[in-house]
Amino acid sequence: MFPVYLTYCTKNPVGCIAVFITLLPLILIIYRKAYIDPSFKLLLLYLIFKLIIDVIMFHTAAMHQNNLLYFNIAIPFYYSFLSGMFYFKFSSITFKRFLIASMIGFLIFTVWDILKSNSQLHDLHNHRAVLFAKTVEGVLIIALVLLFFYDIIKSLQIPNLLTFPFFWVCSGLLLYYSSFIFIAPVFHYTATWKNSFDLGIANTIPTLFEILCALFFSIGIYHFSTADYAKQ
Amino acid sequence: MQNSEELKWALLVASLAMLTMAFCMISFVMYYQKRRFEEEKKINDIEKNYNRLLLDTALNSEETERRRIAQDLHDDIGTMLSLTKLSLNQLIKMAGNSRNEKEDQIMRKSQSLVEETILHVRRITRDLVPTTLERFGLLEAIEEFIHKLAEDKNLTISFHAGMEEFPRQAQKLELTLYRIMQELVNNAIKHANCTRIEITLEIREELIGLRVTDNGIGFDPEKMKESSMAGLGLLGIESRLAILNGTVLYEKPEKGGASAFAQIPVMPVADVKLEPLHPFRRERVNV
Repeated sequence: MFPVYLTYCTKNPVGCIAVFITLLPLILIIYRKAYIDPSFKLLLLYLIFKLIIDVIMFHTAAMHQNNLLYFNIAIPFYYSFLSGMFYFKFSSITFKRFLIASMIGFLIFTVWDILKSNSQLHDLHNHRAVLFAKTVEGVLIIALVLLFFYDIIKSLQIPNLLTFPFFWVCSGLLLYYSSFIFIAPVFHYTATWKNSFDLGIANTIPTLFEILCALFFSIGIYHFSTADYAKQ
Repeated sequence: MQNSEELKWALLVASLAMLTMAFCMISFVMYYQKRRFEEEKKINDIEKNYNRLLLDTALNSEETERRRIAQDLHDDIGTMLSLTKLSLNQLIKMAGNSRNEKEDQIMRKSQSLVEETILHVRRITRDLVPTTLERFGLLEAIEEFIHKLAEDKNLTISFHAGMEEFPRQAQKLELTLYRIMQELVNNAIKHANCTRIEITLEIREELIGLRVTDNGIGFDPEKMKESSMAGLGLLGIESRLAILNGTVLYEKPEKGGASAFAQIPVMPVADVKLEPLHPFRRERVNV
């Protein structure tokens, strides 16, 4: 088994780094005890879930099996964890209700998109990536990040953003989803067994920014201080 | 094939454009936040300076008014009382031995009353304008102040200076420390029911420290400040210190009583005027 993984890693090093770099912010959250903050607790759950999904996908990819089912299933969970983080960052009740409604709505939308994209759901070998759901997830997360940035500017409560952990998390998310938003729907057409169309560097960009995003998370978590948590 | 190449480029350009926007957004938030904080800080500094200037002007006006009253007392009332005393003396001489005992008694009583009033006027003018402070400095002024209070047999006031030769400081600093000392000692006498007051003056590095300790009933400075009237003296001390970047710390010594420790950065006067200022000169207190 190990030589198979090693071969896959040598063929696709950037993708493999993107899988295992998740361990860095995950370990840091536990080490820095950042999970005492509800938002970072959700980030920890997100990272654990992401690592599990990524490892499964890594294994199935190494075994030359279709792993897009995991990619599709993970989408509503990713959105729920990430939007849940913002649930604790905004004080408006209306906004919190909107977030919960968006989680339920997005789950229904993703299920519909999976069904629409895959008319034969039992055929896992030819399972295809969703057409809209990943893009919609990106749009929603970017909107939440921008709303949070607006809130930061308006409230003027954080003297130095570079030492504010959640700013780094938001920046990482903004960059990752910005890099993925146009490429995600293309995967629906390109990520198939019969496809001969190679996206080239455009295919690697989201993976590179996934690594950058994990590094940004790590920087943010590194700045987290349990002593100063009450002040944040 | 050409179409697929174009699609690749289109995707790449769109993704890069989106990423550029994301980077710009993050940079903008950081820059804007920083700028707003700087602006906020500037406004706060301006407000702080303005308040300080207001306070400074108010205290200067108070000193000027004290000088004016002292001058009026000295020039007008003092002169008139001296003339009255002179006239009384002349009247006594003119009356000679012709007046009876009762008239003589009234004359002497009037003379003594006028003399007493002159002394009172002199004391009030000196209280209003501490001429000793201007002439000889803080040590002498404090010693003179203590000497005046020494008449009270139930109260012992001691004064310790950290050094024999206390370098002259800027007029404003000396006046501030003197007024604070006056306020603290007067407070102790009025409210603390104390029998002993200790005043200490010392220079440590770049700070002048004034400590006034009494053995009275003590007080809670926070509660005093909250009450509408009682804390005015303490607020006045803090206001005076704020102008000179000074601080005050109130403590409760273990053996009882109260202790106040005021600290002000030193402002030495290199070229001290040896000639004393005229105590009642009409001028704005330029400190």
